[in-house]
Amino acid sequence: MHWTLDHSSTQRLQDQVAACVVRGLHTGELSVGEQLPPAAELAEAISVDRNTVLAAYRQLREAGILEFRRGRGARIAATAETGDLAPVRHAVQAAIDLARRYGLDSSDVITLVKELS
Amino acid sequence: MNTTAYTGRATNWPSVIISGLLLVPLIGLAASSGSVPETVVAFTVLALVGLLAEVVTASDVRASCGPHGVNIHWGFLGWPRAKYSLVDIANASVVDVPWWAVSYGFWWTPGRTVCTVRTGPALRLHLVNGRTVTVTVPDPHRALAALRIAGNGG
Repeated sequence: MHWTLDHSSTQRLQDQVAACVVRGLHTGELSVGEQLPPAAELAEAISVDRNTVLAAYRQLREAGILEFRRGRGARIAATAETGDLAPVRHAVQAAIDLARRYGLDSSDVITLVKELS
Repeated sequence: MNTTAYTGRATNWPSVIISGLLLVPLIGLAASSGSVPETVVAFTVLALVGLLAEVVTASDVRASCGPHGVNIHWGFLGWPRAKYSLVDIANASVVDVPWWAVSYGFWWTPGRTVCTVRTGPALRLHLVNGRTVTVTVPDPHRALAALRIAGNGG
């Protein structure tokens, strides 16, 4: 599981941790029933406070994405939506096709996406 | 400032299942200890302890790679554990572990530490003191990428 946090962002770190989990679900890095790292271990790995990870895990539990079992830590809940990226893929493909018609190549599209996001 | 880290967990399910199956007759033998010699009971208890130790410490490995270096936690309890900071790591690579080289648990020799629970790609660290550390992680290429990003200052 890949975790990327921007410590200089205005977005709260706990929201960024939660977003990593949601992204992992959508990209297939995480699947239903999979166990997440213990809060202390993850906190050390991503250089945040343990309470930040716990807050993110609680946030995800309230959203129905995680479930806690005594002695077994946090797991991806069966109710979590593991949506695939098909809609995003189609939208990006359409944007690339349109860009080609305007004579733009993939690097121009990437630059444009970075400008807009 | 960005932080990129990788976490992964690999479980040796065949080892867990075989160990569990082996425990059943051992527990049965220990339970009926009244009719067997004391030496058999002693060996049974020792075997039981060994199997439990194997299940607890060697069936599962969790690893995290990032700015802190590499942390490895063995077993369901997360112990034993090892920590290698970035300054201890000379370089890292992804190696393919053949079936005959899988340690199925924690192995330590003067030159290397191995914790591989299955065949296939694994992360290998080459430490500055000359030792190598090989550990099974689900996606070693991502682990390696996280280490390289961390090594470049994020």
